[in-house]
Amino acid sequence: MASASTTARNVDRILAARTKAKFGRSIIYAAVIAMAVFSIKTTIIDDTDWARLGSVANVLASAAEFLGVDWGLLPNLLEPAIETIMVATLGTLLGVVVCVPAIWFGALNITPFTPVTYPLARLMMTLSRSIHEIVWGLFFVAAVGLGALAGVLALAIRSVGFIAKMSAEAIEDLDPNPVEAIRAVGGSDFQVFIYAILPQVLPVIVGVVIFEWEINIRRSSILGLVGAGGLGLVFFRQLNTFNFPGVTTVILAILALILFGEIVSYYVRKAII
Amino acid sequence: MVSRTTAQARTEPKPAPREWRRFKFPESLYKWAGLMAALLFLSYSIVYLNIPLERFFNMFGRVGTLITDRYYPPEMEYVTEPDYLSSVFDTIQMAYLGALFGMAAAIPLGWFGSYNMTPSRRFVYPFARFVAMCTRAVHETIWAILFVTILGFGMMAGVLALTMFCIGFAGKLFAEEIEAIDMGPVEAIRSTGASELAVMVYGVFPQVRVAFTGIGIYTWDVAFRAATVVGFFGAGGMGWYLKRNVLQIETTRVSAILVSIILLVLVSEAVSAWARARVAKAK
Repeated sequence: MASASTTARNVDRILAARTKAKFGRSIIYAAVIAMAVFSIKTTIIDDTDWARLGSVANVLASAAEFLGVDWGLLPNLLEPAIETIMVATLGTLLGVVVCVPAIWFGALNITPFTPVTYPLARLMMTLSRSIHEIVWGLFFVAAVGLGALAGVLALAIRSVGFIAKMSAEAIEDLDPNPVEAIRAVGGSDFQVFIYAILPQVLPVIVGVVIFEWEINIRRSSILGLVGAGGLGLVFFRQLNTFNFPGVTTVILAILALILFGEIVSYYVRKAII
Repeated sequence: MVSRTTAQARTEPKPAPREWRRFKFPESLYKWAGLMAALLFLSYSIVYLNIPLERFFNMFGRVGTLITDRYYPPEMEYVTEPDYLSSVFDTIQMAYLGALFGMAAAIPLGWFGSYNMTPSRRFVYPFARFVAMCTRAVHETIWAILFVTILGFGMMAGVLALTMFCIGFAGKLFAEEIEAIDMGPVEAIRSTGASELAVMVYGVFPQVRVAFTGIGIYTWDVAFRAATVVGFFGAGGMGWYLKRNVLQIETTRVSAILVSIILLVLVSEAVSAWARARVAKAK
């Protein structure tokens, strides 16, 4: 009898908790929808110049200008495409070099002086991730002038955040047993690093770097917009001369490049890891 | 057997002590060849891209003077003006709407693009994967430029650009999440004769709801970072202020805007981490 009443009380409690959770959830849903409606009102309905936009047919007509491919542009795309890949590769590798101190300072178990170096590394990672590559590109174009170097530097700085964060986490999750083992057979610090630490973290770091390389191809394809060469520059020129099929061609070329990057990264990943 | 090996050991000279290596002969050769090819490619690309190395090594002093002379001190009064603050508010709204629309489109895309749940592995699955790849591969600034060209300046172009960006981003993560579900409930609901949609709603969705919410919050966070620059090409928000000041070489204002972007991204990161932890706990 007593147990039955406890069960009933438990059921009541669970039901009450469920009603409460449902109530809280519906409040969240209501807030999400209310904010969406408000945002649609201010950003889309109020901010758009509907008279200038015209009818749906007008919009479709201007979108239709992009249909079609400008085959004549194709031979001119080879060199910028190679440039784009090269900028992405160099940027990623320079990013790896810049990363080393950030990884060293940013992993809690190896950082030399936690109260100073750890926040410093975190600041580096946040700076790198929160500023967009376009802005980094502008900054480096101002610093070193127009050309591929600005793009390489922008991509390097932009890659630091992601690579350093993932690698520092990998080092923090290190298994200490191999380190002990190498030390126990008389290995020096350098040998401990080469044979105990590196084999553990290298697959993770290589995977992250290849992933970042893929992302960097995507980024380097637009750095031409701020004067760093590559496909972005061709894109910008085609757009400014109102050659809309040419714009489509450049976008298709970017897609092909990214597909190429995905295929390469698949095979490199399989070969190394 | 035993006597033969001992006899062999007696007749053969003792081999010289070998050095231990991690990589034996063929692998070591491949490794070196790969490394050399990579180095060759690197040096060739430095030549091909015409990178002035001396400028690279002189850069550090110049960047230092550039920052101290021109970008410092940031003119913080500029970013506390009501005009700028309202543009920050616009940016947040744009990111919110872009992430919301993108996710609404990404849920069916994740369904069609997950190998275990897709309605047709031969047609729908590759198509959904291809759409996700295309929307993700084209950079958000290119989407912004395209939509500005078609729809004119304004935040609608920005919202649509962010939507396209979020479709690919969330669609891929959603598909991966659906591929990792437990197929038991799916089988159970399928065996009652339910339609594919009912299987999705009652078998799959309860399993991925929490993960989807987490991904949604993360998508908003990423969309906000992208939203800070879509305005650079005329798609509304604070990017427009950035562009204007870059073109007018108001460098102290540019640095103030950058500082404000960094602070906002930090806040949005903290909010998204808090909300994701909250959602994971409510599981």
